[in-house]
Amino acid sequence: MRSPSVELTARSQRLVIFSLIAIGLGFLIVVQLRSQAAVARTLAAQDDTSVALLINDLNRANNQLIQQNAVLAEQQTQLQKALTSGGADSQALSKELTTLREVNGAIAVHGPGLEIRIQGPVMDFELQDALNNLRNAGAEAISLNGYRIIGSTPVVSRGDILMVAGHAVRTPLVMLVIGDAEQLGPAADLSASSLQTRVQVSIQRQDDLAITEVVTPRPVIYAQLGK
Amino acid sequence: MTVLASVSLATFLVAGLAATQFRSQPLPPSNRLARDEALRKSVNQLEDQNRALKARVQTLQADVKAGEDESARRSSAAQEVKAQLDEQKTFAGLTALHGPGLTVLLHDGTDPNSPVDHSLGWTIHYQDLQDIVNVLWASGAEAIAVNGQRIVPSTAFHYAGVNILVNNASRLSGPYTVIAVGDPPALANGVGNPDQLAELKSRNRIYGLGFSWLRSTRLSVPAYDATFLVKYAQPIG
Repeated sequence: MRSPSVELTARSQRLVIFSLIAIGLGFLIVVQLRSQAAVARTLAAQDDTSVALLINDLNRANNQLIQQNAVLAEQQTQLQKALTSGGADSQALSKELTTLREVNGAIAVHGPGLEIRIQGPVMDFELQDALNNLRNAGAEAISLNGYRIIGSTPVVSRGDILMVAGHAVRTPLVMLVIGDAEQLGPAADLSASSLQTRVQVSIQRQDDLAITEVVTPRPVIYAQLGK
Repeated sequence: MTVLASVSLATFLVAGLAATQFRSQPLPPSNRLARDEALRKSVNQLEDQNRALKARVQTLQADVKAGEDESARRSSAAQEVKAQLDEQKTFAGLTALHGPGLTVLLHDGTDPNSPVDHSLGWTIHYQDLQDIVNVLWASGAEAIAVNGQRIVPSTAFHYAGVNILVNNASRLSGPYTVIAVGDPPALANGVGNPDQLAELKSRNRIYGLGFSWLRSTRLSVPAYDATFLVKYAQPIG
């Protein structure tokens, strides 16, 4: 049996603790709402065209992500099926390996796409813009004058000379791009329209292009696995 | 206990009312504003969906990896393929990496509010990020991330209106932090080379646009938060 004074102190302590929790909870709710409002305010400052374009891009990206989820789910089911039956499905692994080798430019590929010929000198930033536009339009493999170009391929101007992955490339520039020609076309047109003021650009759709050049991955010296 | 409950309830209600007060701003009676609101709500919903889909991709990737690890334990053929797969995943940016490197910091400068200068040179454009990434690759970077988004073979920067987007419509906003893992002096020399990024450096002087870099002994870049789909390119042979 506790004395009345001890009981009173305990009650007061509980009162303070409960009040602090309630204040904290209320504060968190307000902070949460304020954060949402801050994000909305950033968006609110944008014009309708920007917001509409953003919606378009988000829809496109989400559709891509839905497809990625479907591919991964199928891959997992295939692996699991083999494991459940007591074996191992090295075919599922090989399939993924092929995809990554294509992405990394480590194997020769063919497929539909565009052949873009540029007659005249081009600066590094112009080529970068073109490559960026084509990747954004879903380019899956690119080569330029016999050199395979991947995401980490540097493009640099040394004076009038355009260097791709350390190799000088000279006009005419012939770029082969594999992907959905319907999507790649407008991206190529966009780049061509800015180049055509001073150089000649021709774009041809091809049903089947071959990119036989491959990239040898540079040795990893400084980076280590893990966060 | 009744007192306790009453005090807690009252405090919670006051906090809740504060939140409600914060939320309940009068909606102007205009269809246009209602339409604007609907557009922005759509963006929020699509961005929520985007985050959820990426989270689902990452969960599935972890499940697939567990299946691959187990397959490699059971079969020597699978083990051989798995070793090559791990190597390709590292090259493709599907694994987090750490090491020494360079951090490049960028932020918008000051709007000159000049009647003759409408260049928007005082803001960071997606092309600036693209140029910096290119210079870092040329200087030997082994892995790069921009505002936590790993640069992978399919990465493309672009504008959606005023928004800079990268990797499956991830919205980038300033200040921008570009992290590159590699040899810090080589990376710093590349970025500092007067022949490189000349236009950005000039805007840094004219508009006070933020552009600085810092060498570090340990930096980390996250893994790409999605995966790759190849639909049109087929292997030869």
